[in-house]
Amino acid sequence: MTEKTAQQKQIEQRLQNSLKGRRAKERRFVWFGRSAIAVALIFLATLFISIGTKGIPGFFQHYVTLNVSLDAQRLDPLGDMSDQSFFDGEAKKLVYEAIYAELEASGRSKKKAARQILSNGSDVRLVSFVKNNIDKLDTVQPVKLALDDDADSYLRGFISKDTPEKLRRVNDIQIEYIEALQAKGLISYELSDYLFFGSASRNAEMAGIKGAFFGSIYTLFICFIIAFPLGVATAVYLEVFAPKNKVTEIIEININNLAAVPSVVFGILGLAIFINIFGLPRSIPLVGGIVLALMTLPTIIISSRASIRAVPPSIKDGALGVGASEMQATFHHVVPLAIPGMLTGAIIGMAQALGETAPLLMIGMVAFIVDIPNSVTDPGTVLPVQIFMWADFAERMFIQKTSSAIIILLGFLIAMNGIAILIRRKLERRW
Amino acid sequence: MTDPVVRCENVNIYYGEKQAINDISIDILPKQITAFIGPSGCGKSTFLRSLNRMNDTIDGCRMEGRILIDDEDIYAPEVDVVPLRARVGMVFQKPNPFPKSIFDNVAYGPKIHGLAKSSSELQTIVEHALKGSGLWEEVKDRLDQPGTGLSGGQQQRLCIARTIAVQPEIILMDEPCSALDPIATAKIEALMTDLAKDYTIIIVTHSMQQAARVSQKTAFFHLGDLIEYGDTTQMFTNPRESRTQDYITGRFG
Repeated sequence: MTEKTAQQKQIEQRLQNSLKGRRAKERRFVWFGRSAIAVALIFLATLFISIGTKGIPGFFQHYVTLNVSLDAQRLDPLGDMSDQSFFDGEAKKLVYEAIYAELEASGRSKKKAARQILSNGSDVRLVSFVKNNIDKLDTVQPVKLALDDDADSYLRGFISKDTPEKLRRVNDIQIEYIEALQAKGLISYELSDYLFFGSASRNAEMAGIKGAFFGSIYTLFICFIIAFPLGVATAVYLEVFAPKNKVTEIIEININNLAAVPSVVFGILGLAIFINIFGLPRSIPLVGGIVLALMTLPTIIISSRASIRAVPPSIKDGALGVGASEMQATFHHVVPLAIPGMLTGAIIGMAQALGETAPLLMIGMVAFIVDIPNSVTDPGTVLPVQIFMWADFAERMFIQKTSSAIIILLGFLIAMNGIAILIRRKLERRW
Repeated sequence: MTDPVVRCENVNIYYGEKQAINDISIDILPKQITAFIGPSGCGKSTFLRSLNRMNDTIDGCRMEGRILIDDEDIYAPEVDVVPLRARVGMVFQKPNPFPKSIFDNVAYGPKIHGLAKSSSELQTIVEHALKGSGLWEEVKDRLDQPGTGLSGGQQQRLCIARTIAVQPEIILMDEPCSALDPIATAKIEALMTDLAKDYTIIIVTHSMQQAARVSQKTAFFHLGDLIEYGDTTQMFTNPRESRTQDYITGRFG
């Protein structure tokens, strides 16, 4: 009896020991997991804070309100309100006269300093103001004009007065003028209309994302209308109709591998085939969309196949049982049930395509294009490429613009993913 | 003696290398219920599915021998499975209504086969089929509701309505009551007896009582062999084979 107790004790002891080890392992694993999440959250927070602190000010810029005389004769010498007439007119001079008068600037160097406070695009802005306010011609009107990015940088504190004059981009007279304008309450800090409605520009204060935004929309549109039907059809064929043999197997393996091909390779492919062989123009969203479609196809095919496989076979059996053909059973019953999953996969693939830069560089969508594309065959660029280009510019204001554009791109992505979730919720059916 | 509607001659079925059905010959008579019984894995479902070529959808499934329906070899190369399955409908083990409205569930078959020339004709067909499956009174006010919202027994009767909407000659039922409670089962059994006036019904069942209650003929399968086939009453009271005796008295299986 005593011997047995000793044996039992020994077993108990060993169990206790092994239990200790097992528990410790479990605790360690949980702890690893938690610290990994914590590190990830810290990085995420750092990213958001960094982009936010730089990007949110980028949504705003400084404007100065000047009293400009809207002399019809000088603005519109031909009198027909045409672009040519405004081009021939003296909008720029009128703006300059207004700033000279406001700052009482006289003499060449002071006048130069005064007019350089204003954005280069002030004349264009004045013309568009006039076009919107034709009834105010021949009067003196307060017109809100953008400050030059250097003046803006000074106001943001990026340029310090303590720096020797020769080393800074704003000279002493300009600082004096800026402060004078500020003292008069003529300078305002507002949401930047250039950022949202402007296009590519070398002048930081006028640079905007509208062109790139539309470029992205056109490119994604082409990408979707090519990749989605093709991807779904491929998935249906491979999943339902393709004979299960070596050839199909090789195709399947290659589709899976294609998902892992570096995106720049697709760019080279696009350059070689669509531009060099088919002779399509460079820089157009049509080619960009086709290239991105090639890149997105594997993602769509893989997710579509998974969602087809997730449809219970009993549904298809039911259709076959009443005499539906394979094609009818698939397209009347299986595909509609798989569509939510297919769309989710497609939108995730599209979101990936939206953020893609490298393949688009290869086909020339990195060009500096001021015009906003009006169709898929107009040269354009896309948001991530725009960000890439802005990040390359030296002006201080572009750093903020870059971050602002990143925020907009992230917003676009979140919206797309949100739509994917909504569609899935809406279409998901129980069976 | 009526002529058989289905004649199977030396049927062998293989899944890859494995033989599931060994040389079965059986004649099935029209307008009555034939039950296939036997332990799990005996091949009765496989054999049933070969009667409307549902096994074609399974990879690696191969069939030898001849199955004649109305003296026509359904495995002949020129036979199209679509009209065949319209003639030989199937009801499955698990109720599998389409995730569509009750009306669309029943209307699907007639629609794809172009049986209705107008929407009023289609409505008549749907109503007729639902009445035939005894579901009409329960669902006539909610035909636009999803079929998946019905109870299990109702769903199974909806599947039967879906099958009879295309006016098949033969209805195959693969354990139609195994997922249902006793009350729903009783309803389906009553329905089967009713349907046997117009259709030839072949049912696979695990329940010997069910076979005894509803069928006129019973076939007992074991390990891919057809052990015994005969009148249900005779089979359950006085089986010829000892293995049948053992099975129906619960000594194995």
